Amino acid sequence: MAAAAGTPAKSTYDVIVVGGGHNGLTCAAYLAKAGRKVLVLERRHVVGGAAVSEELHPGFTFSVCSYIVSLFRPQIIRELELARHGLEIIPLESTFTPFPDGRSLARWADPERTRREIAAFSPKDADVYPEFGLTMSRLAHFAKHIIDRPPPDPTSFAPSDLLQLGAIGSLLRGTDRDLRFLNTKLMTMSAADFLDLWFESEHLKTPMSASGIIGTFLGVRSPGTAYVLLHHYMGEIDGAYRAWGFAKGGTGAVSEALASSAIAHGAEVVTEAPVQALRLTDGRTTGVVLENGTEIGAKVVVSSLDPHRTFFGLVGERNLDPAFVSQLRKFKLRGSSGKVNLAVDRVPEFTARPGDGMHIRGDISISPDFEYMERAYDDAKYGAFSRRPYMNIVIPTLTDPSVAPPGKHIVSIFVQYAPYHITEGPERWPEQRDAFGDAVLDTLEAYCPGLKSSILFKQVLTPWDLEKDFGLTEGNIFHGELSLEQLLFLRPTAGWSRYRTPIDRLWACGSGTHPGGGVMGAPGELAAKTLLRSGDA
Amino acid sequence: MSRSFDAVIIGAGHNGLTAAGLIAKRGRRVLVVERRDRIGGMASSEEFHAGFRSAGLLHDSSGVRQRVVDALDLTRHGLVTTAGRPDVLALTPGGGAIPLYGDEGRTVAALQTALPDDAPRYHGYRAVLARLRPVLRDFLDRPAIDLTEIETMSAWEALTRAIGVRRLGKRDMMELLRLPPMCVEDWLAEWFASGPLRAALALPAVAGSFLGPRSPGSNFNLLLDEAGSGRAVTKGGPMLIAALERAARHHGAEIQVGAPVARILAGTSGAEGVVLESGEEIRARVVAASCDPSQVFLRLLPPGIIPSALEHKTTKIRTRGTTAQVLLAVRGPVRFRGAADASWEFARLCGDVEDLERAFDPVKYRALPERPALDVHVPTEVDADLAPAGDSVVSVLAHFVPYDLDGGWNAAAKDLLAKRVIGLLEEHVSGLSGRIAGLHVSSPVDLEARYGMTGGNIHHIDHGLDQRMIRPAPGCCRYETPVRGLILCGSGSHPGGGLTCAPGSMAARTLLDHGARRL
Repeated sequence: MAAAAGTPAKSTYDVIVVGGGHNGLTCAAYLAKAGRKVLVLERRHVVGGAAVSEELHPGFTFSVCSYIVSLFRPQIIRELELARHGLEIIPLESTFTPFPDGRSLARWADPERTRREIAAFSPKDADVYPEFGLTMSRLAHFAKHIIDRPPPDPTSFAPSDLLQLGAIGSLLRGTDRDLRFLNTKLMTMSAADFLDLWFESEHLKTPMSASGIIGTFLGVRSPGTAYVLLHHYMGEIDGAYRAWGFAKGGTGAVSEALASSAIAHGAEVVTEAPVQALRLTDGRTTGVVLENGTEIGAKVVVSSLDPHRTFFGLVGERNLDPAFVSQLRKFKLRGSSGKVNLAVDRVPEFTARPGDGMHIRGDISISPDFEYMERAYDDAKYGAFSRRPYMNIVIPTLTDPSVAPPGKHIVSIFVQYAPYHITEGPERWPEQRDAFGDAVLDTLEAYCPGLKSSILFKQVLTPWDLEKDFGLTEGNIFHGELSLEQLLFLRPTAGWSRYRTPIDRLWACGSGTHPGGGVMGAPGELAAKTLLRSGDA
Repeated sequence: MSRSFDAVIIGAGHNGLTAAGLIAKRGRRVLVVERRDRIGGMASSEEFHAGFRSAGLLHDSSGVRQRVVDALDLTRHGLVTTAGRPDVLALTPGGGAIPLYGDEGRTVAALQTALPDDAPRYHGYRAVLARLRPVLRDFLDRPAIDLTEIETMSAWEALTRAIGVRRLGKRDMMELLRLPPMCVEDWLAEWFASGPLRAALALPAVAGSFLGPRSPGSNFNLLLDEAGSGRAVTKGGPMLIAALERAARHHGAEIQVGAPVARILAGTSGAEGVVLESGEEIRARVVAASCDPSQVFLRLLPPGIIPSALEHKTTKIRTRGTTAQVLLAVRGPVRFRGAADASWEFARLCGDVEDLERAFDPVKYRALPERPALDVHVPTEVDADLAPAGDSVVSVLAHFVPYDLDGGWNAAAKDLLAKRVIGLLEEHVSGLSGRIAGLHVSSPVDLEARYGMTGGNIHHIDHGLDQRMIRPAPGCCRYETPVRGLILCGSGSHPGGGLTCAPGSMAARTLLDHGARRL
């Protein structure tokens, strides 16, 4: 079963979901499974949003934007039977970091192997590393409790809210002083400082800290970046399932499985159906108007778009309370990253560690030291892309040859920093696209001589492209920064964090709602479950 | 025979003297031992050039807690305070200036001509601060909540705190949760269009810390600074110290200078006193340390006394200093070119908010900023006695100057810093360099040597959000330490650094309330 292009079959539905990204599809599948008549409207010709696979070059299927399936909620896979709908996750087994001095560090799924690698830089760190992992997993247990529920409302006296706060409290009570100390530190510290509590080797700390800045406009020394480190330890607590990995066939396979599940439950998924506006009758949502003028009725509309596109785009400022508008304008999107996708005719070889390629089957981090990372950030602070950027690279063809012709490979490069707001103005990004791509490839060529000459096809995505092509306002991959003041009950704005919006019968289910971005599916799932309980649909 | 006291206090800075006065007031026998040959710590006046004396290292005395002034009756002991919050002149790029008066209406009137767009917004900005002030003051004036042992909080404390927060109403409660983790630049940008205005308002939030205006959590410092600031001491730190000393002595406390502590006497039963470097043992039932926590836990205590976990955590406390002081002896008065009115005691020079961020960057790389952010104090405006008749003292706190400067703090590095500071000031004070009669540069390393704080950090430990929430370490967030009878009473404890006297007073109160078994 596949999505159809063009026009929906009926003129009214119970629920219309705007946007066929992974959150929109997750939400739709849950609603359809609960027996609602659901329509998903996707602007592009494919479903998936930023979790999409596309054949950009003959024979090469790229995970165009999102390239790793991180934290995808296991209960969604179970409840929507995604395995039956074709989802297969290939676990990510290693992180490889080449250093300019010719040394390198690979961290493996096998703890003993990792220990030996780290010991080459610091025997002390090698001993501490497993302990760190254990502690982080314990902390992650707490975080999991938060991301799998709608956010608590600390200002409410309603019994259900007090119960939820109480539950979090008792979870905390069960932890010891040390864990609470680390929990507080984790929420407020920089990734670099947090790792300083444990480790001495910068060769180890820098690539670890780098995961704290992905998708944010902050540096590894900026407070508030530490908690993202937890994400790496959240998959393992489910035991049976490792949450970090590649989807077989590309990240789009997640979206396709979700679409297939939704359709199997009776939802209708229509592509090439851009929504122009929400249809409002006396301030109440009654459906949507497509760009081609077609009006479709619904009892409830759920938007998976980011908060800016939802409210300033679909709803329109004139239909919103000015106080809400001013709150919304304070919501920071600020894209900070870009993407370079390559089709190459051979496996890239890193001079720091040539060989069988086992070490580059996971992700590869270009993050030599803290100073490098901070300088990359400094460039971006003043409105320029990093001359020497941080990169997170994957070569999915090493574990999933199905996405490229035999012997050929895909190199997917996540690049930071590429600020949306460059000095010249974001609309001037197209003129800088080539220079940006060159900075990335020149940097990488130093680690991987011959890479450039192996390129068959190249795609450079700037934040401007992410906005124009994928509908991510300001190119923010998380639909809004994952900074402390934009999380939990404050996401996207105070008072509207539980998927309901100030517009009657308009709900939100995108990454701009709790718990935020990444191919996690949690906002879509929680929005659907909350909506079903509310009685609105 | 060794001397014996109820309490011995290490360090005669403003916090040590505050604690001493409050404990002595309750009839306890108190001795303050001070390493240096004078009292006052960072607030002490020093001669830095023949005939010219500083007014201490810390400029801003508007955070001194009123309850300390009341409890020690400091006005009777010579303390004079200003009518309102101090006026500060924000020096803007190109030789201009924006006056930030303590009086809100006057500031708005001044902004009306300089920045007509931002002027009306200043009221809104102050109004939010005013609404949040009760809760923020509560934070400053009560011992910290120990986040690692939250269940030990008494029901009464939990209730009164909750009521305070709930009084804000839903909207402001949400703001109270949203604002502290933000970076100061983002919040100020919600209010003001002018970059120089934002920079000037942001400076106190990042000063002395490893934070730029775009560093998350810096907004918490701004909120606390704005909420905590009130009437200032007319002659700043030295006058505060003099009053504290008089109050302490009035209540019978003894103060001994030139008495560095070699170690704290502690056994299984807890703290028993101190041993001076002279070899003299002083017995006491309680030891209160106003020096920074690293000094206490890593240097002064015998090994094996504190749990190894605390020892380990103490080594991880960030204490790297980012502030240097440049003292100038200036012939004649100091007049800022951009200011309409003649004399200003306080000025900030940090350019546009982007300049402020750029000033911060090099500290990450252990380098000297091209244009450090400057906090300027002209104490001779209020205390002519500090300099020969008609002449001026200018104290400049240059921020974002690394303690661990690449290449070390040699004479050339200090010269370069002085040159940059004077160059920046010269843009705003005509003919300054020709009138400089004397000059004294203190790098963070010099400050560490003079005042004894680890890393030369003027707040003892960095004012990052995490270190304000848990200060200094779990198990000693509420002044008491794992060593019975040993308490912390300096800036390294809640609520942090600056001339507030808050740590000293709350530590004393903790001791008198909870330490009854010993005191």
